[in-house]
Amino acid sequence: MKIHNLIGLALAACVIGAPALLAQDEQSFEKIERGRYLAVLGDCVACHTAPGGKPFAGGLGLETPFGALVGPNITPDLATGIGAWSEADFWRTMHEGIGKNGVRLYPAMPYPAYTKVTREDVSAIWAYLRTLEPVRNEIQSNQLMFPFNVRRPATSVWNLINFQPGVFQPDTSKSEAWNRGAYLVEGLGHCGTCHTQKNITGGDRGGEALQGALLQDWYAPDVTSDLRTGIGGWSTDEIVRYLKTAVNSFGIASGPMAEAVEHSTSHMTDADLMAIATYLKDSPGKKNPPPITSLPADDPRMIAGKAIYEDRCAACHISSGAGIPTLFPRLANAPLVQSDDPTSLIRVVLAGSRAGATAAAPTAPAMPSFAWNLNDQQVADVVTYIRNAWGNAAQPVQAGDVGKLRDRLQRQAATGG
Amino acid sequence: MAAKQAPLSPSDHAELFPGADPTGVPAMPGSSRSDSGLRRRELLTTTAVALVFSGTTAEALVVEGSLPWSPFAGTPPKAVQPGPWVFFTSEEGATVEALVDRLIPPDPQTPGGKDAGCAVFIDRQLAGPYGTADALYMRGPFIEGIPGQGYQSPLTPAAWYRQGLAALDKYCRATHSIPFINLSDDQKDKLISGLENGSLKLDGVDGQMFFQRLLGDTRQGFFADPVYGGNRDMVGWKMIGFPGARYDYRDWVERHNERYPLPPLAITGRPDWNQQKT
Repeated sequence: MKIHNLIGLALAACVIGAPALLAQDEQSFEKIERGRYLAVLGDCVACHTAPGGKPFAGGLGLETPFGALVGPNITPDLATGIGAWSEADFWRTMHEGIGKNGVRLYPAMPYPAYTKVTREDVSAIWAYLRTLEPVRNEIQSNQLMFPFNVRRPATSVWNLINFQPGVFQPDTSKSEAWNRGAYLVEGLGHCGTCHTQKNITGGDRGGEALQGALLQDWYAPDVTSDLRTGIGGWSTDEIVRYLKTAVNSFGIASGPMAEAVEHSTSHMTDADLMAIATYLKDSPGKKNPPPITSLPADDPRMIAGKAIYEDRCAACHISSGAGIPTLFPRLANAPLVQSDDPTSLIRVVLAGSRAGATAAAPTAPAMPSFAWNLNDQQVADVVTYIRNAWGNAAQPVQAGDVGKLRDRLQRQAATGG
Repeated sequence: MAAKQAPLSPSDHAELFPGADPTGVPAMPGSSRSDSGLRRRELLTTTAVALVFSGTTAEALVVEGSLPWSPFAGTPPKAVQPGPWVFFTSEEGATVEALVDRLIPPDPQTPGGKDAGCAVFIDRQLAGPYGTADALYMRGPFIEGIPGQGYQSPLTPAAWYRQGLAALDKYCRATHSIPFINLSDDQKDKLISGLENGSLKLDGVDGQMFFQRLLGDTRQGFFADPVYGGNRDMVGWKMIGFPGARYDYRDWVERHNERYPLPPLAITGRPDWNQQKT
């Protein structure tokens, strides 16, 4: 957006030329309030706040295949936060992934997405962060394993492969709402951090944006317009309702998405949510997906799965798989159920799950854990059944995969992780 | 409401407890005038302590946001494991198996009490809190009550069973010179009927009550969820057409004069949950 760049340049000029003016500008309520809203859009607290900790004071560990990274303290504390930073340091962090003193950030900080954020918006977020109460909280951010813990070569190579800095460029052939949606989804919303498949280095896989990906033993489903595995069957109003309240006629946000809705999307304006829905409805699904047919009803896995479903699932999700709108998710013709990767399904059957709670829908119904009641083969069969009943079609689930996930989840639960 | 602010005076006590020591709390058995002051202090102190504790520990749990939830949450029942007797001796176990198999005799459609696991059910119950009377008031006085007053024995159900089985064994050996298990079915039935109608006296044990308790426990073993050791393979439920621990019949509420098609379901599941190899 040219006009934004101009404003950005003008602001930069102010920064250099008129400190007095800057001070005044930094105190502008409109700007700080806009920065607060943008920080909510970006869901900064998700990584930069420990469970039960002070907001933005750092501390939530992100498990990556390369080791753990912990969100640092971004309150204006001089010693342990970013109190000694300048706005230029912050801009470089958001835009290039390079922090104060040239420290290269790991892309767990979603700068490949934040690089699309305009200078004006970054400036507003900075103004807001400066108003936070400084919190003294030392964070050991880099807990990666060798050689990934050596910042310079690791991140330089990574950036070479995966990172293209540059502010979002609108597509003039699309509507204003579409462009706003694209800006939010690809930029501050950093939806692709979870929903886009990663390559072997952990960078986004080109051409597969938002088509679903596995992260921390949750499968973030396809959110493209694909009719079978994506949300092509949801109206824009249903998408808005999901993001605003955590529930809609089809399903309920759970796991990490419940947090994203609680902390971020439920606080967005209706116009921004509608823009996101407009963009997602227009995002392309998988090209040439391999044809897939339902398992026949007389398959032994389907017979066993149906018996388990009747006895353990149908009470809430209904024998027809239709669920109860806004309370128990629909399974028939549901994108997550037919995902290529069944991890999230297996997970909620094993460990249970709680839905997100918002002011508009505070119930937060919970799915009970069935780990005590169903063995690995039975979990595999009931999940295989729901993936292939009522017109659904998806790959069957293997008992071995259930067993591995059960072990991992139970270890995490035991260590409180 | 006219709440009384001043502590009770001795004369109030006298009014409240006619015949009480006017200087303190009512005299208790074994107490003397000289220590009643001490008792009063003790009473007041313990009351105060009780009030302090009840005031601090009886706080309601305040839940904000959404209800607490944690992964793998649940309190699954501990299923009874097959294996040797836990409470019974092998002789006692064999006797109870013989008894329950006469109370619920096998027929061509349904196994009897023994094969349904009723004796295992009773054994595991007697080894647990039922046997040790955890839920019963077990302190004196012990006075023979009327039947409507329920169980009045100082014995726990476990000790009571042991005594009853010993008395039964003694009776069989004295009358027939063989233990109960070796009696013919007719002899067993006659003996059990004698217990039921009170015509047969056991040494030191109320035979009628022994019969009633055994019958009740056998029924529970036959119809309780298999997780407790009886009702093996849900035989009791299959016999009477009970669909088991099911949860939801909405699909069937409006369908009349049709047979409900699903087989019974136990807490831990049913055999159809496992793939049938063809």
